Amino acid sequence: MSERLINRLREERARRSLTQADLAEMVDVSRKTINTVENSVFIPSTVLALRLARALKMSVEDLFQIPE
Amino acid sequence: MPSPVEIADRVSRKRAIVAAVAAIAFVVIHILIRPFSHSANGLKLDYWAINAVVLLAVLATGGGLLNNRQIRVLVNDEVSRSNYRTSVVAGYWVAMTAAMAVYFWPTAEGLSARNAVYVVVTASVSVALLVFSYLELRAHRDE
Repeated sequence: MSERLINRLREERARRSLTQADLAEMVDVSRKTINTVENSVFIPSTVLALRLARALKMSVEDLFQIPE
Repeated sequence: MPSPVEIADRVSRKRAIVAAVAAIAFVVIHILIRPFSHSANGLKLDYWAINAVVLLAVLATGGGLLNNRQIRVLVNDEVSRSNYRTSVVAGYWVAMTAAMAVYFWPTAEGLSARNAVYVVVTASVSVALLVFSYLELRAHRDE
């Protein structure tokens, strides 16, 4: 099973002119969590993925994809 | 006034650096400078034991107990908890390796049980802290 997860968090955050700290405050996590998810260093839990998607008003499938 | 996220960011970076410095100091003092410096008899509440317990407590709690709850929650969020688990696993394997080395190493036969514990705990606690510190600093690094 693939351990990789592609995400569009950086692009979507930048598109909304949000800093990592802004998004972190919206989701109630630390900035390093946003940073590690954006850099694909950390695969977020389902709860965090859903919270990120909700904060950016997107579906979780649009924000995160499993590579083909 | 800095936001809780900014405060947590600063606290988290500082914690990672302090953890690395503490782990290196622990190894340098207790392995290189004063190995087996604990007292041979009596109550074993010596400098090494206090040092080891404090470092274990820092690793287990994430430290920062003086910060308010909101900051502690942010500092010890999902990424830090994952880093904590990874570092504890690394510490566990170092403990197993050190224990097996003490068991098999011919010159370690005369080592007392207390000194064997000293070797295993010093090695595993310091590696766990170093791994935690490395993972936390990597999490902060902008790529």
